[in-house]
Amino acid sequence: MESLERRLGMLRAEVRRAAASRDAARVRALRAELRNAERDWDDALARLEDKQPAAEDPAMSQAPLRTRPEGSGAAVVAAGAATIPAAGPLLPLREQVHQALTLLDVPAAPKLLSAVNEAFFAGLIPSARLTSLRRDEERSFRSAPFARPYYLCAALTAELLAPARGLLAVSTWPMDRRVIGPLSPRVNYLSAAIRVAESFLRIRSPGPAAQRLLWRFAANIPGAADGARNMDPATVARAAQAELQVHADDDRAARTAAAGRARRQLDDAGQLFGSRLRLTGQAGAGRA
Amino acid sequence: MHDIDARLGRIRGDVPPQAHNARTIAALTSNPGCARRAIMDAAGIDKPRLASYIGFPAPFGQSQFAITRGNAFEAQVKANGCAELLRLLREQLGLPIPEVSYDDLEEVGGHRSQHLRHARTRSLLTRAAGAGGDAGTLFDHPLLRLDVGGRPVYLEPDLIAFRLGGRFHVVEIKSFAVIDGQADGDKVAAAAIQSAVYVLAMRQLLAELGTGPEAVAREVVLVCPENFSNRPVATLLDVRQQLTVLGRQLSRLDRIESLVGLQPPGLTFDLELDQAGVPHRPAAELADDVRTVPARYAPECLASCEMCFFCRDEARGQTAALGRAAADELGAVHSVQMALGLADGTLTPADDQAEAAALLREAARLRRECLGETA
Repeated sequence: MESLERRLGMLRAEVRRAAASRDAARVRALRAELRNAERDWDDALARLEDKQPAAEDPAMSQAPLRTRPEGSGAAVVAAGAATIPAAGPLLPLREQVHQALTLLDVPAAPKLLSAVNEAFFAGLIPSARLTSLRRDEERSFRSAPFARPYYLCAALTAELLAPARGLLAVSTWPMDRRVIGPLSPRVNYLSAAIRVAESFLRIRSPGPAAQRLLWRFAANIPGAADGARNMDPATVARAAQAELQVHADDDRAARTAAAGRARRQLDDAGQLFGSRLRLTGQAGAGRA
Repeated sequence: MHDIDARLGRIRGDVPPQAHNARTIAALTSNPGCARRAIMDAAGIDKPRLASYIGFPAPFGQSQFAITRGNAFEAQVKANGCAELLRLLREQLGLPIPEVSYDDLEEVGGHRSQHLRHARTRSLLTRAAGAGGDAGTLFDHPLLRLDVGGRPVYLEPDLIAFRLGGRFHVVEIKSFAVIDGQADGDKVAAAAIQSAVYVLAMRQLLAELGTGPEAVAREVVLVCPENFSNRPVATLLDVRQQLTVLGRQLSRLDRIESLVGLQPPGLTFDLELDQAGVPHRPAAELADDVRTVPARYAPECLASCEMCFFCRDEARGQTAALGRAAADELGAVHSVQMALGLADGTLTPADDQAEAAALLREAARLRRECLGETA
């Protein structure tokens, strides 16, 4: 009961914050969750009045949330099955992204993150919602620096230390993992392939989404697999490792140098979200 | 040169010239004999606007669906540091394993200004052309510049791959399918000529840096979806011939002077726009001016020129409008009316028409035999 009340308080605060940042989709989802929590609280109260020992375990009430596909929750509630705590968002979007990034352990594009999430976690991340994510995180960081345990931030291009186009990273990673040199896209791809292959080995019965994801990596790594039907995750990881050996040293050198430069030259926000080139005297230069 | 610029400026009127792109430069080569098109292109006339103003709007432009499909396929091929493209280049063209370096030139430090991107492209390609070691392999969306009719045009190939056999290769990603090793001939031809524009621009850039044209391969890499899947497949395409045609066409644009000299001095295609951009020139008067410049209409124009409907209307009744094959057969017989007259014997052929007239009479006889006397 206490934990439910705590959860209610937290949810209300979240709704208020989401409303303040004008995130309509999140407000809607959170309010649905809030309503469900209130209903749970009512039920618990009713059980208390009936002198029935109410087994309130927040972990229990959250666990089914994660596995349910989005959208089905509303139908369940409408059917009146109030005893099943119904969906809303599974995890907040940024946590889903964080989860996928942590699995890959390298900066990645939204499309790949979405595929990883579908393969190993709760389901697809709508990539349209990812477009504003980095900007929101940056705004949040600038208004209250280091208020969150982690931020979803940019990967930086090695040469200009500007945000790399379309890549997300986690602020807690060391700088040299977030820097993208000329060889890094390939190195990151191979590292991600290894991580995906390892995760594939860990789960008991990989679904078609996981199979597809692994094949997408295996198909483009020399010697990784003959065909989509007979691939072996361990072979994929070995092949990726073999090619990684070729590029690793050069890439590491470039990254370490750039990371050192970034740490020296950029302020906190710049280190996380990159510095943009400031143009001067463009009017004259444009015509030349 | 100043004279000709002033003259072209007068023809264009008081508006900035239209910029070319790879598509329009490629279209220049499709009908080299057309003076109307040559003058309009050299003067940078806004042809779609002109055509619709004189009452013959062309239903032109690429379909939004085609653009979206093309972009999606390109993004797929280039995803994850060009993973799929690297596989293709390795499997089919023998790109060495260590060559995976990738530089994104679509943005420079978060900016997309053309000037900045061109400068960066230049510096990166210079470094790659000069140095042997770690100078980059794949350059995504470089911005090249080509002088067309004395004006610089910015061009953006999909990708340039370097150090495939020691040379730069232009990579063109297209979303039309290659089915069972065969692709639509027209589309391949269009892709080849567009790529040739990029090769030319690339050679011009390297020439400014003192590197010979052989540093850019005349084979371009065409990447298309294979069969009915989304799996990309790469093909080498030799664009030697297209390069020659383009070179000739572009030098002809530079020699536009003689062509303009043949036109009446008062000629102008000015729409007489007012402050708000509303045209005031009587459409009929403008159409008359357009007619003074001779065109060479052929049905192929419908695929590449915005003035096509105007010229087709003008060419009605002429044998040229029947297509190049028919026009070649008919030789000096210029109008359909004359052809019919020669066929039924009511007209007597001139010396240079005798051969065509004999053919026509023979065709008329065969037709009568087939259809009987009723026809």
